[in-house]
Amino acid sequence: MMVKQQAIGERKKGMPSFSLFFQNKNFYKGIGLLAVFLLFLLPVLRLVWLSFVNKSGLTLHYYQQVLQEAATWVTVQNTLIIVLGSTLLALVLGVAFSWIVAYVEVSGKRAMQLFIFLPFIIPSYITTLAWTQFFSGSGPVAALLARLPGNLEVPNLYSIGGIVLLLGLSHYPLVYLFTVNVFRKIPRDLEEAAATSGLSKKQAFRKVVLPLALPGIASGGLIAFLSNLDNFGIPAFLGTPSNIRVLSTYIYEQVVGFGPEAFSRAAVLSVLLGVIALFGTLLQWFLLRRSRVTETARSDSEPRIFLKPAKRRVLEVSLWAFLLVTSVMPLMAMAALSLISAYGVPFTLENLSLKNYEHIFLIDAKPASALANSLKLALVTMAICLILGTMLAYLRFKYPDWSTKTAELFITIPYALPGTVFALCMIFMWIEPVPGWNPGIYGTVLILFIAYTTRFLVLQIRGSHTAFLQIDPSMEEAARIAGARGWTKWRRILLPLLFPGILGGALLVFLMALTELTVSSLLWSSGSETVGVVIFSYEQAGYSTYSTAFSTVLVLGILLGGALFMGLGKLWDRKVMKAK
Amino acid sequence: MKKWTATAGVLAMTAMLAACSGEEAANNAEAEGTGAGISGSLDFYTSQPDADAQALVDAFTEKNPDVEVSIFRSGTEEVVSKIQAEDQAGDIQADVLLVADSVTFENFKKEELLLSYKSPEADAIDQAYVDPDGTYTGTKVMATGLIVNTNEVKDLPDSWSVLTEKAAKGKAGMPSPLYSGAAAYNLGVVTKQDGMGWEFYEDMRANDITITQGNGAVLEGVAMGEQQYGMIVDYLAAQAKSDGSPVELVYPKEGVPVITEPVGILANTDNEEAAQAFVDFVLSEEGQELASDQGYTPIRQGVEAPEGLKSLDDIKVLEADSVELLQTRDDDKAKFGEIFGQ
Repeated sequence: MMVKQQAIGERKKGMPSFSLFFQNKNFYKGIGLLAVFLLFLLPVLRLVWLSFVNKSGLTLHYYQQVLQEAATWVTVQNTLIIVLGSTLLALVLGVAFSWIVAYVEVSGKRAMQLFIFLPFIIPSYITTLAWTQFFSGSGPVAALLARLPGNLEVPNLYSIGGIVLLLGLSHYPLVYLFTVNVFRKIPRDLEEAAATSGLSKKQAFRKVVLPLALPGIASGGLIAFLSNLDNFGIPAFLGTPSNIRVLSTYIYEQVVGFGPEAFSRAAVLSVLLGVIALFGTLLQWFLLRRSRVTETARSDSEPRIFLKPAKRRVLEVSLWAFLLVTSVMPLMAMAALSLISAYGVPFTLENLSLKNYEHIFLIDAKPASALANSLKLALVTMAICLILGTMLAYLRFKYPDWSTKTAELFITIPYALPGTVFALCMIFMWIEPVPGWNPGIYGTVLILFIAYTTRFLVLQIRGSHTAFLQIDPSMEEAARIAGARGWTKWRRILLPLLFPGILGGALLVFLMALTELTVSSLLWSSGSETVGVVIFSYEQAGYSTYSTAFSTVLVLGILLGGALFMGLGKLWDRKVMKAK
Repeated sequence: MKKWTATAGVLAMTAMLAACSGEEAANNAEAEGTGAGISGSLDFYTSQPDADAQALVDAFTEKNPDVEVSIFRSGTEEVVSKIQAEDQAGDIQADVLLVADSVTFENFKKEELLLSYKSPEADAIDQAYVDPDGTYTGTKVMATGLIVNTNEVKDLPDSWSVLTEKAAKGKAGMPSPLYSGAAAYNLGVVTKQDGMGWEFYEDMRANDITITQGNGAVLEGVAMGEQQYGMIVDYLAAQAKSDGSPVELVYPKEGVPVITEPVGILANTDNEEAAQAFVDFVLSEEGQELASDQGYTPIRQGVEAPEGLKSLDDIKVLEADSVELLQTRDDDKAKFGEIFGQ
């Protein structure tokens, strides 16, 4: 095993220039790093700079001040507990689901996948609202507990545990997305070999399957970790009533607590947050350092584990029960709220109306134009990220040296920062990228394209990189020997193998951009409002019923689109498979 | 794995919807009309609800068709952060600003970001709500009162003290001053009143009051019956009641803190003339009637308040000096954090 790995490493380094695009390595390396620095790191550095200066010049005053406050350390501690807890939950759920979907014979997998995505798509304020009602004194959980013996109390969601639970549930789809393809690509013969050499199923899972799935698990875990770290909605909603602060909410408090020191203090806290994100990224590198997949297989979605009918029933029922509670219930709560004419009226037939839908479809022109804007933004961002991110992931995969690693780190930072802070960075950067020059980008829709691409590119890189890690370099070599070069090699050999993984990343970029809120809410300008901005405006003006109606339409639209193409996918399968 | 099928599905759906957006740009180009004198573009930053801001701008551009107004609307906190960041980066884009409270404007005034302009229309407004230097003028009266769930509470309270009494233990809510500028204003005012002071907040804490992010969450909590009482800005409660929610708005006898959503012009405006015309319009009788139609208590004397709300003359206002409030705001928030801290 060791020898083989080394041999591969050498083969990779010794290989002649791999692609037409990347000849003249050092020159391009320099240009590329500079571009990444300017686009991804400089905006953030502009903010960090504020933490070091005051009116009289350079100073460490803000660091001394912030680091000496007990509140800072309580916040850091809360953040660590919450982020680690929720990432662990997301990992357990994500890996479990992706393994079951990839390996075990259960029916309705396609539909199951859609519902796995739901908690991630539903805006977090809706999720939290649904869950707090679910757990409220008059909710179903309380009613259930009252029937059980003993004095069981309803768990309090306004607590660290509650925040961990909702963050974990909202972000496990990320782990799932990154992991499911990796599981599918693990070759059957390896497992069979493990079985013949006497390993039990559990041992085989630990010694063969898990290590091979590690690239996906680590990528998904990292993205879930960063998403938990920068999430504002859930800790703000659940933490405020019980005075639990995390870094993202504390930074927001600083930013809006105006005064000349506001940004400087926020900048110091952002640096703290950046350090935590950095540790997460390093940990992920450390985990992947030893992992090298040596076999290439096309993804194999045939089940490998067949259960007895009774066991299978139990598994199916419990999976759907879980999805019902975590995905369908918040959606139903949202839909129910959107049908009611005013808050607090009983949920009876005469109080139900479509007037909220009438408002968002017919009376107010904003939702339609915002939807068009967001779709445009999401599509273009996805396209740019798809190309750029896959190229960068390829470089990162091919030349895993300091330069590509540094580039990856720079690109990760905009995603880890809370949206509000990142939006401020964009303002600092794009009003005057170099002193005295205003390119007129800020205040137009262009700034949103730049911001989205800067923020979400890492998702595509991670998705594509995971896909690349699944390909044995010998495939490329074989292609080369067989005479396939440049584009042909990509089209015939690499892309078909990479396709599912790359599209998984693209899907994520698309969904993130479609429902993005915090960055847009500071950067949009007249005529370029996004879906998130409109929902946020309704919320703030106290028209929550409109915002739930709009969110419902959005989520149903995504579900419908997904279902439609699941159907088409089935059709395609049948035809193509038959043709073969 | 057929994930790509799901992706492609979303794509096709989006392509159809994206097609509708092209027409708008074409329509905007036609709006060039004949108007008197004032022209150019104007950047209007505001925290008013979207529809209200749009209606105000529409009414203004009807009179000044050559002025093109761009709106940026977000919460007061976001608007303030955006302007601060723009200032930091070297170029404030906003020409006219209309956000929650006078303390915010005092802060900008202190940083010399505001232009001094004495609108002739301000003569019809109580001078308590007009900055003597003319950097900002109140545009509405938004009182913070008590909201009560009428399904749960039969005897309506008439005093703030209900929030600190046993009846409301664990059953009341208020917006967090750390998130909401209006709530921070209220905190400053209430803690400076004799008979209320910090003790009032300490007692509310002892009574397990729920702190929410904003006024909207207080409304949801009380209307849905999760809480029975709440501190809330008046128009939200009145609106919910007229929509049919089981709530009642009470103006407590001690008086109510009032924010005025002032309007002001940024010092580095590119279009002073249009900015002044805009301020004049907001304060004019027509502009104030529009505010009243939108469900807010107008600030101009002689314009009626909408149904369900009290006029300025009928409200007992808890007063405090804006300059002093600005000086103590950071300390107020910090002290609030301490009292309600873990």
